[in-house]
Amino acid sequence: MARRKFATLKRFLDYIGLEGDRTIFTWISASEGERFANVIKGVTAKVRALGPASKLVKKL
Amino acid sequence: MENIDKKLREEAKRLLEEKRVDALVGYETGTLPLTATPCFITNPEDAEKLVWNAFCTQNLAKYVHDLISQHRESQKRVKPEDRKKKVFGVVARGCTTRSIVLHLQERQYARDEIVIVGVPCTGYVDRKQLSIIVSGEDIQEGTLEGDQLVVKTTAGEKRIPLQDALSGNCLTCKFNNPIICDVMIGEKAPAIAGAAQEYAEVEDFENLPTEERWAYFTKEMAKCIRCYACRQACPSCYCKTCFVEQSQPQWVGLGEDTTDTQVFQLMRLFHMVGRCVDCGSCISVCPMGVDLRKFLKKLDKDVLDLFESRAGSSMEDLPPLSRFKEHDKEDFVFNP
Repeated sequence: MARRKFATLKRFLDYIGLEGDRTIFTWISASEGERFANVIKGVTAKVRALGPASKLVKKL
Repeated sequence: MENIDKKLREEAKRLLEEKRVDALVGYETGTLPLTATPCFITNPEDAEKLVWNAFCTQNLAKYVHDLISQHRESQKRVKPEDRKKKVFGVVARGCTTRSIVLHLQERQYARDEIVIVGVPCTGYVDRKQLSIIVSGEDIQEGTLEGDQLVVKTTAGEKRIPLQDALSGNCLTCKFNNPIICDVMIGEKAPAIAGAAQEYAEVEDFENLPTEERWAYFTKEMAKCIRCYACRQACPSCYCKTCFVEQSQPQWVGLGEDTTDTQVFQLMRLFHMVGRCVDCGSCISVCPMGVDLRKFLKKLDKDVLDLFESRAGSSMEDLPPLSRFKEHDKEDFVFNP
């Protein structure tokens, strides 16, 4: 069910014009330390490539 | 249509006289020309007020839900042996029955608490569209003659083909006949010709560059004044406390910050995954004319595409986010 929610959320955010790479979803078990590190490295690399978010950011 | 009105009134009267329903939700002629407004009937004589025509806009499933939950609430302080059961009747076209199916699937009320009087539908008039056609002039008088609307404004009389004034969702509707009903009034309506192109608008939008889509979303949401009329009119929005009114945690800020408005709309839209029946109620009540359908239809398209499900299309087609299949698409899962 989480997979279904994410599948629609990712498509929807992309549709309204948010970069698709900002929504990232994956499964990691508590025992998968190395995988966790790899995922986070991947996520930061992707976000770094996109630069700071300018959409849906509240300026106070 | 005369004939349908007559049959509808007879049926409503019979239901009320035989005490099969305690109240009936239907439409009566509105106070402005070319309008109809929801009405609640408890007295069999009042059944004469009922109408069914191309001006009946709102999805009445919302009122059924409200009435039933209010009644249940009122019975909470009554001793269990003295509790009364109430049955509500509803005049329902295709999209209204889809909403009812959704309510039943989401266990909002039981099937025996409602009596569905099904009516065939060929689409309703979009008031905003009509206003554009008559260049914003005040409509003083109006009648429907066959498939022509005869509208009298301060600028004179104008004949408008009904097809041109129909609401966008009706032009591509696939469910114009009741999905479930206890009594059907009249013959089933013919299928809508434009139903095959129902996602054409969404597909065009999908092909635009990201920045253009974002620009459109921003432009539309900038119109929103956060009156929450869309939420109030939506039959799928029935939470007792809406997320916008929650303060612990406060999901979205109040006030007129652009981002807050965008987030409110985004969250409300996203709550409609597999639940939006495309009745167009939110759009018709929107005082600012926000193009909500562009986004709602996308959710509908994705749900059909990914999970082969459509909100309220049958009692067996359960809400897609309440179940799963082993081989649901997962190409979006991040695996570095």
